[in-house]
Amino acid sequence: MFGFPSFSIFLQMFLNGILLGCMYGVAAIGLSLIFGCMEIVFIAQGAVMILAAYCVYWIVVLSSIDPLFGFLLILPIFIAFGWAMYMGLFRWVAKAGKNPSLLLAFGLMVLFENLMSVVWSPDVRTVKTWYSTATLSFAEINLSVTRLIVAAVALIATSLVFLFLKKTMMGKAVRAASEDMHAASILGISPVGVSAVTFAVGIALAGVAGTAVCITYPFDPFFGLTFSLKALVAVAFGGLGSVAGALLGGVILGVLESLSSYMIGAGWADAVSYAAFLIVLIFRPEGILGTVSTEKV
Amino acid sequence: MAGHLLEVNNIDIFHGEAQAVWGVSFHVDRENIIALVGANGAGKSTILNTISSVIHPSGGEILFSGKPIVRRKPEEVVAMGISHVPEGRRLFSRLTVLENLELGAYPSNTRPYIKESLERAFNLFPALKERVSQRAGTLSGGEQQMLAIARALMARPYLLMLDEPSLGLAPILVRLLFEIIEALKKEGVTILLVEQNVHQTLEIADYAYVLQTGHMKMEGRAEELLNNSEFQQAFLGMIG
Repeated sequence: MFGFPSFSIFLQMFLNGILLGCMYGVAAIGLSLIFGCMEIVFIAQGAVMILAAYCVYWIVVLSSIDPLFGFLLILPIFIAFGWAMYMGLFRWVAKAGKNPSLLLAFGLMVLFENLMSVVWSPDVRTVKTWYSTATLSFAEINLSVTRLIVAAVALIATSLVFLFLKKTMMGKAVRAASEDMHAASILGISPVGVSAVTFAVGIALAGVAGTAVCITYPFDPFFGLTFSLKALVAVAFGGLGSVAGALLGGVILGVLESLSSYMIGAGWADAVSYAAFLIVLIFRPEGILGTVSTEKV
Repeated sequence: MAGHLLEVNNIDIFHGEAQAVWGVSFHVDRENIIALVGANGAGKSTILNTISSVIHPSGGEILFSGKPIVRRKPEEVVAMGISHVPEGRRLFSRLTVLENLELGAYPSNTRPYIKESLERAFNLFPALKERVSQRAGTLSGGEQQMLAIARALMARPYLLMLDEPSLGLAPILVRLLFEIIEALKKEGVTILLVEQNVHQTLEIADYAYVLQTGHMKMEGRAEELLNNSEFQQAFLGMIG
């Protein structure tokens, strides 16, 4: 079962992994942002992704426009959805502590999964586009056009979030609040306001990642949990609290999966990535790239 | 300009079930340095957090320029002109010095003045200007305290509340810090200073209140307290 690939195949798998990893990275950034404000793993992130996948699928079926345009239609809805989810639910539940918030996230996941089963049936769906089977070839490398598009969208989304966090006052407040909510509120930063914005951005990123899923994979309503877990692994690789880290964590995970499924066997991809996850948690809990200091003076 | 800048009347504050502050009253007049002194656990930080509206008193009232501030949101209190430098500085260590300062001017009524406020901060603390793009967590203890004060000043407060600013600083930095506090007073900022460093605090304060386990024990002009034998025994002998 152990294969020794030629260099060009190795390179092919490596690049595939990077492209795949960009999608994980976007999901991971959303997860990491929400963790920053609620200090819980938002386990419903994957279910929200699949919800976005169904919305885009629906738009494509009804209007036969390109899924990427469908995504632009749902983006404002997902931003509003994230905002409303915080204002209507997490804002109140968070007062009771982290465990109730975590339970709520779990409950939302189950709710979304079952709602999707009722509305769209539990059948596996696929979205076909003109570029579904297209590949770009140079030298001996073939890259799927779909995955290139996904990676490009992922990088654009990441850059926008990065600019928002670094350049706008609201973005800086989000970063400040994720580090020290008490200090932020003393400066006049409303905890409710920044948390709602953080949720809106996190859910919007789930929308981006979900669109990527719907043009890349066949999906069903229960496909999301896998992505919540992969996003969690990516966050652990990259270290909490950094957008670039989460994206890079996703890319590392993608490369790891791609190489291990080719070199060891297709069934081994998850085993290898979760093993790496555990190893990172044990030996470098701050993440492979993490420089985050947890010291509080 | 009639009336006190800050008036705290008979407040009771609870930490869960336990009462931490019992019927405390005091007031702060404009352009004064008012000290709130007392041992650990006297309730000093609790009172500052209550003025900032981070916690709410169960009884009593707090007036700022005559307007009640109890049960307002913390961001409203900042916008009214009260800035709070919390105990332990609470800088955003992963953000740069400049970002920390900018966030000090977060309330919408202070944002238009952000350039002037930055200039003022760099005039007061020239060392910070060289470190604008450095992460706050990499500064020395003294620089961190300066940044915490500069950040609070970015909101252009009338009242600056400082919670144990000298904690963990070398004696030479403590002296510099107290000089800065006096300079701020001359600029027209009113200061409410919470300190365990009683002797040095009273040397710069105009008036002081002495708290003991949540009760107001004593008050008086700073130089009177320094010469008061009961006060000397209770505080200067032990701590000063």
